[in-house]
Amino acid sequence: MLPPCRSKKDVRTMDDRKIQIFLDSLLPLFKAGVAFTIPLALVSFALGLVLAIITALARLSSWRIPKLIARFYVWVIRGTPLLVQLFIIFYGLPAAGIVLDPFIAAVIGFTLSVGAYSSEIVRAAILSIHKGQWEAAFSVGMSRGQALRRVILPQAARVSVPPLSNSFISLVKDTSLAASITYVEIFRKAQQITATTYEPLLLYCEAALFYLLFCSVLSALQNVLEKRLDRYSAS
Amino acid sequence: MIEIRDLHKSFGPLQVLKGVDLTVEHGQVMVIIGPSGSGKTTLLRCFNLLETPDKGSLALNNIKLDFTPGGKIPQRTVLSLRQQTGMVFQSYNLFPHMTALGNVMEGQVTVQKRSREEARTKALALLDKVGLGDKADTYPHQLSGGQQQRVAIARAMAVEPEVLLFDEPTSALDPELVGEVLKVIKQLAREGMTMVIVTHEMKFAADVADRIILMDNGVILEQGTPQQVLEQTKNPRALQFLNRLSGED
Ligand SMILES: Nc1ncnc2c1ncn2[C@@H]1O[C@H](COP(=O)(O)OP(=O)(O)OP(=O)(O)O)[C@@H](O)[C@H]1O
Ligand SMILES: [Mg+2]
Repeated sequence: MLPPCRSKKDVRTMDDRKIQIFLDSLLPLFKAGVAFTIPLALVSFALGLVLAIITALARLSSWRIPKLIARFYVWVIRGTPLLVQLFIIFYGLPAAGIVLDPFIAAVIGFTLSVGAYSSEIVRAAILSIHKGQWEAAFSVGMSRGQALRRVILPQAARVSVPPLSNSFISLVKDTSLAASITYVEIFRKAQQITATTYEPLLLYCEAALFYLLFCSVLSALQNVLEKRLDRYSAS
Repeated sequence: MIEIRDLHKSFGPLQVLKGVDLTVEHGQVMVIIGPSGSGKTTLLRCFNLLETPDKGSLALNNIKLDFTPGGKIPQRTVLSLRQQTGMVFQSYNLFPHMTALGNVMEGQVTVQKRSREEARTKALALLDKVGLGDKADTYPHQLSGGQQQRVAIARAMAVEPEVLLFDEPTSALDPELVGEVLKVIKQLAREGMTMVIVTHEMKFAADVADRIILMDNGVILEQGTPQQVLEQTKNPRALQFLNRLSGED
């Protein structure tokens, strides 16, 4: 029979080891977040937003062809899994002679995704602006483009801040899918550390904590932004 | 200055304007009255092509337009017509994300490409003129209805239109705020501004109008000086409308 004190000591060294692994992983995971997850999310979101506005305008225009293309694009992207899209871009396209760096492949995949989903938000926001605003803009002599740029989009932007913030927060979490195409962001970093330390529960929870941290910061920023934009609402 | 001939407009099967002819002279104030649904708003909106007529013609100074069903007016023509007209809406339609000053500067900067400095000076003068010099930095939702409508008048004036169009400018206002808006419009009339005004305010109409048009069911029932239309008409439908109005007061 083993003396009880020895077993307690064993447990303690086990704990010490875990704590050590946890602490040692903090910096690499944080770095993966700041240097890989966040840039991927930011670049994809910025490009995706541009694509979303173009898509929304195409769908609202009276031109048949752009309208059809936009609807087709949204239909395809929304009807297929993001993970499958990423695999097609990263593992599939090389078969067609197109070899992409993991970052570029991920940016393309996420941009297309943000563009499709957010185009619905942008479209709804534009449609929610009272038609009297268009008419007021026209009546001072503005063209459709000027009315859109100066009068409609600024108001639509205000309306779409809450849903777009949600999209961005979803995107930050979705970037973990990029782990599957060898992009070393938070989640893949956690997988790599797990491979050498055999502590999956610890490492994946630690990765989850980082996502929680980043998303909480973003939520706080969303609140600040909404408050600032509130200035001219209530009309 | 403005000449409208045989103007027709339908919404689907509903014929709203059934051949309207009218002329507005430079410096004239024309008031359009008539029962609800008679087509007053639609007619006014044809002046700046917020509605495109199906048939007839419209001329404003050197711009001459002939309408055909389904016909397209070139965008350039539409824009230049709109730059020569200003419109004041029943529900003000100020830009809520801009201050009063911003609202009055906007057309000057975006459409007329004036420098911000110049636009600002002009906008401040106009706000002063409508009695809101001290509200330049206020957002629309912080203003009363009467104040918002006066900003809207300043906004319409800022691009120096040939003619100002008003669609029931006071009918969304609380009664105690109507006076301040009518006062501004009367002031413009005295200064010789050409205006076309749709209104239900008969006393104001009689007061400010050089010419009154009484519309009914898509046609002009009666037109002439306020005295001719309001006091001397023999038309039974016109009398019916006028009697109902005086019954209300
Ligand atoms: N965009 C539209 N689509 C369909 N019908 C319309 C449209 N605009 C106006 N109408 C119809 O045309 C008719 C005339 O409308 P209009 O607004 O010109 O009347 P109005 O004389 O200004 O009435 P009111 O005094 O109530 O403002 C009404 O029957 C109205 O329902
Ligand atoms: Mg009307």
